[in-house]
Amino acid sequence: MHYTFDIERGNFSDAGQASSSVKRTLKQLGVDAADIKRTVVALFEAEINAVAHAYGGRIDVDIDPEKIVMVVADQGPGIPDIELAMQEGWSTASAKVREMGYGAGMGLPNIKKNTDELKIDTTVGVGTTVTMTVYLR
Amino acid sequence: MTKRETYFRHSLKVDGQLCQSCTACMRVCPTGAIRIRDGKAVINDNKCVDCGECMKICPHKAIYIQQDDFAMIEDYEYRVCLVPATFIGQFDDRYRTRAIYSCLKKLGFTHIYEVEHEVEYMADLYTQYMERHPEIGTFISPYCPAITRLIQVRFPSLVGNLIRLRSPLELASRVIIKRLMDKGASRESIGVFYVTPCAAKIAAVKYPVSGKETCISGVINMDFLYNKVRLMLHERSRDTEPVNHALTSRGVLWPLSGGEAALFKGEHYAVDGLQNVLDFLEKLEDDAIDARGLVEMRICDQGCVGGVLAVNNRFVARKRLENRARIFDRLQRPRSPGMRSYDPEFTAMIEDQMEIPEIKPRSIYKLDDNYAEAFKMAERMKKIESALPGVNCSACGAPSCAALAEDIVRGDARIDTCIFINRNSRASESAIRDIWGEKVRTKEIHKDEKTDH
Repeated sequence: MHYTFDIERGNFSDAGQASSSVKRTLKQLGVDAADIKRTVVALFEAEINAVAHAYGGRIDVDIDPEKIVMVVADQGPGIPDIELAMQEGWSTASAKVREMGYGAGMGLPNIKKNTDELKIDTTVGVGTTVTMTVYLR
Repeated sequence: MTKRETYFRHSLKVDGQLCQSCTACMRVCPTGAIRIRDGKAVINDNKCVDCGECMKICPHKAIYIQQDDFAMIEDYEYRVCLVPATFIGQFDDRYRTRAIYSCLKKLGFTHIYEVEHEVEYMADLYTQYMERHPEIGTFISPYCPAITRLIQVRFPSLVGNLIRLRSPLELASRVIIKRLMDKGASRESIGVFYVTPCAAKIAAVKYPVSGKETCISGVINMDFLYNKVRLMLHERSRDTEPVNHALTSRGVLWPLSGGEAALFKGEHYAVDGLQNVLDFLEKLEDDAIDARGLVEMRICDQGCVGGVLAVNNRFVARKRLENRARIFDRLQRPRSPGMRSYDPEFTAMIEDQMEIPEIKPRSIYKLDDNYAEAFKMAERMKKIESALPGVNCSACGAPSCAALAEDIVRGDARIDTCIFINRNSRASESAIRDIWGEKVRTKEIHKDEKTDH
């Protein structure tokens, strides 16, 4: 099953629709609550990252019987130093973003923690594609 | 519809004679429990959480709550009326509490006991539970039974966040029984009758989630008792009954939104109203809200004064309770000694009886127990949904196109009931007749109606 969602820069208040739709389907499938939670958390984090950093983008989710593959692709500044970005607490977020409760520097580490596979393709000045996979038990 | 095993009972019922199948109830139900079949609303036993939204919105008074026969109080020598503070809030300020209590006595009760007597002790039990389970972090109050059930069916991953304790009602009933027995009454001679402001609390007594036995002998609907008392007051009953108890302002405020949370020193939230509750739980489930401490939740706006069986305007009722609490504060009533005044053996027994061993999730979303089968159904459902018009007209007897798609894959409905898909087909007529009953008889439109426009 395939789902597509658009990402709009700076629209934090409307973020989360992708994870809500995916959550509903996973509940219908009777997927384990813990797996639903980590999927939703990872997808939401990735979406928020793109909303905060990129100029726009797209979310593609594929649910098949064994796994969920989520691809969040954005057109944005890219990540110059992935190793640094993966460190907990490291953040480039502006004061405005922090005020909204985001930008604590937990985004990528949290995604890594909640997914089974994480692939980040990034080109500085072009954009970032985050591919996350969660295997279903 | 296919017959399935019923594992839950609810207290909201539809009167088939009164129901006009207007679909109002079906559209507000938070669990999608209602469909129109054979020209009337039908409630799915396993999905209904007794929130009462359908009853609140029904313009034909076709949804009702089954209650016990009032005459059954006569079966007991000691007849305790267990009144929630909300009851007093139903009356105009000029009717004093002692006059209201006197009417209850005249109606046949021998004792009146307020449910919220033990709320401070209840709060202690919450605190103990929270301290015993620090790993849980976010604790959802178990007070509103509709919330517990809503979580079981719509947010199964949050059942572990519910505090596994029974309601203050169960605590209060045990205390009053003990008091009467200490004075020499036999257990069989005591009947305890609870006055309920809503459908959910009846269901909680009759079909408890805990599976444990209740000490409540019967439940009386608040509007029914209100009418009886109100008439007596109208007929100028001047008698008064001394109000001799130790209810505190905390007890009076407990049924109001925020009243429960106010008893906790740590971080706490008070969420009321169906939409607010759904939004909060959705975000809690996604980890999008990091709520630590106690989350008080009430399905009704303003708390129990907004219950479907409450008569008075909820804001006026709230005001009366707040005024009453202010008086109690001025009297500087000491904190109720609660269970500390009883022997440790009794306290231990109560604490054991108040515990809920397990709250089981029972998801209404899951399409099949077999994952591969569920996957096939979900795929088909997505396909059907995209073929449906998406206008949610409800002509198919389901609340939305998405709900119809789900009914179809579950084998409970046919695609030809969609009037958009099947608008020119004769085959759809029989399917639509199954849903709307006699209503589908085409009426001749008067000639003038046809030509005058």
